[in-house]
Amino acid sequence: MLKIENLHVRVAGKEILKGLTLDVGAGEVHAIMGPNGAGKSTLGNVLAGREGYEITQGSVTYNGRNLLELEPEQRAAEGVFLAFQYPVEIPGVNNTYFLKAAMNAQRKHRGETELDSMQFLKLVREKLRVLHISDDLMNRAVNAGFSGGEKKRNEIFQMALLEPRLAILDETDSGLDIDAMKMVADGVNAMRSAERGFVVITHYQRLLDYIVPDFVHVMVDGRIVESGDKSLALKLEEHGYAWIAERRLAGAA
Amino acid sequence: MNAALLDEFGVGDARERDESWRYSKTALRALSQQDFTRAEALSTLDAPLAARFDWPQTRGRRLVFINGSYSETHSDVGRIAAGVSVRHEDGQRLQLTLTGDSAEPVHLVYASVPGAAATRWQASADLDLRAGRANVIEQFVGAAGADMLGVLHSRITIAPGAELHLTTLSDLPDSVSQYRRVNTTVAHGGVCRFTDAIFGGRLQRADLNIGLDGEGARFESRGAFVLRGRQHADTHLDIRHAARDTICDVLWRGVADQRARGVFHGAITVAAGADGADARLSNKNLLLSAQAEIDTQPVLEIYADEVKAAHGATVGQLDETALFYLRSRGVPVDMARSLLIAGFCREAFAGVADGDVRVRLDALLAERLPHSQFDQEGVAG
Repeated sequence: MLKIENLHVRVAGKEILKGLTLDVGAGEVHAIMGPNGAGKSTLGNVLAGREGYEITQGSVTYNGRNLLELEPEQRAAEGVFLAFQYPVEIPGVNNTYFLKAAMNAQRKHRGETELDSMQFLKLVREKLRVLHISDDLMNRAVNAGFSGGEKKRNEIFQMALLEPRLAILDETDSGLDIDAMKMVADGVNAMRSAERGFVVITHYQRLLDYIVPDFVHVMVDGRIVESGDKSLALKLEEHGYAWIAERRLAGAA
Repeated sequence: MNAALLDEFGVGDARERDESWRYSKTALRALSQQDFTRAEALSTLDAPLAARFDWPQTRGRRLVFINGSYSETHSDVGRIAAGVSVRHEDGQRLQLTLTGDSAEPVHLVYASVPGAAATRWQASADLDLRAGRANVIEQFVGAAGADMLGVLHSRITIAPGAELHLTTLSDLPDSVSQYRRVNTTVAHGGVCRFTDAIFGGRLQRADLNIGLDGEGARFESRGAFVLRGRQHADTHLDIRHAARDTICDVLWRGVADQRARGVFHGAITVAAGADGADARLSNKNLLLSAQAEIDTQPVLEIYADEVKAAHGATVGQLDETALFYLRSRGVPVDMARSLLIAGFCREAFAGVADGDVRVRLDALLAERLPHSQFDQEGVAG
């Protein structure tokens, strides 16, 4: 589904990704762990199409297409979703209207019929109920005045509503208490399916107790230095990132 | 420069006048060089223009002035409340006296209709709120054509404990210029809530002077200008805290695209002895093109001892992170920009108590935005 090969990315003249390679198949959940500054968020932003990232080398193919040549809204319509580490507050723009506009723009792009207000609200209520979110969220401006937990819930709610094929979660667990984190994990687990891929970027192993990944990758200094199954996350938890660095040094010697 | 208009619209000595017109001098000079003759007092309007103020909610409580003169044909005063008295001397001087609670708004309309050559009109309005609460809508509309200049001098008096909600909606074609001077005094315990929406126009200058003369008097100002092309708007707020425990709260937004020019001057003076005054001013602006210009000047002068004051002004561009956020969910870029701009302005209109007016403001905002691509419900919230 997603094939990243030897990706090099510069931000403001500085190389952040230095030859990253990753394959995500449909139905798989990949966790990407790593210390601060490893380039994890850069990866998420590049995949979603944020401006300001210069791709100097490598390729990203999504369902056989060159993902990097698509605009962010085209990527969304093709099924790519990025849950932001810091969801943006947009005062004055109503959540319901924004999501209806987003959903119908995506449907239009895919040649599907647009939903009318009744159909849309029915869908919204279903998703809110499954995620145990109060519908008062929909009457507010996008993330404006939301607590950290509410913002993250809103991201998961949007993901559930838009039903992407590739969901990238950028440190969705950061700043969450245990209940909010469980809610996020439940939202993700409910969406796991044979057609959908997940890239879960996280700093801590804790989230992976609830979203059990098929693969764990460790990212250090712009590339993936170690890959394994879920047990790799536990080793990291035990030994810290220094352990990886030591292993790399030992391997090089 | 031909000093005629500067003399007419300027206040104070030569230096003060010059300073107050600093950012709009060129535009005023261009107007001064034109020969504006007196506009005709017309009795009827074209249907499309009349449709813009024929609101079902204000039928029976609507006063219409065409080129500054009262229009019997278009005014509709059949359902005006008992506490409202209306006089219009020689058709041009409006005297509106309001007493007692009248939740239903009084709708004042000033229409500019061009002649064959450049014309101007002038009118004045006295609004006297003697007691209770009142809701007044002031609307400026115009037809495109030969150049026009409209001049309105208003005097607003708010009695002790009375509360006025005034919403001004000015939406003008590029051939119409307008000068408005509003002198407001608020007595002790009185409240004035003023929302000002400014769209279009060749030069729209508003001098809003507010005297908080009585203890505990309160003034709230909300407003936004949305400009494109070569439109030019210049708003001067001059608020004087002259008594103890007076409050002012100012929140304005500005948007300029293409070669438009916006000016906001917000001056707050707390006089000696006006202790306990609370003054807040926030002015944020969005520049949408490299050729557009916005100048903002917050001025705070305090001569009292115990005062709370906060002011801030910014000029910036559309938030790229917010734009990316909307696009990453599938919203096309033009629509995402429109949503953000509308949301930005809407903060200034959120406080309009009259639901019908708020909906109309939202609709107008959607219509007048650069890159308008969405319907009016987009700015609800």
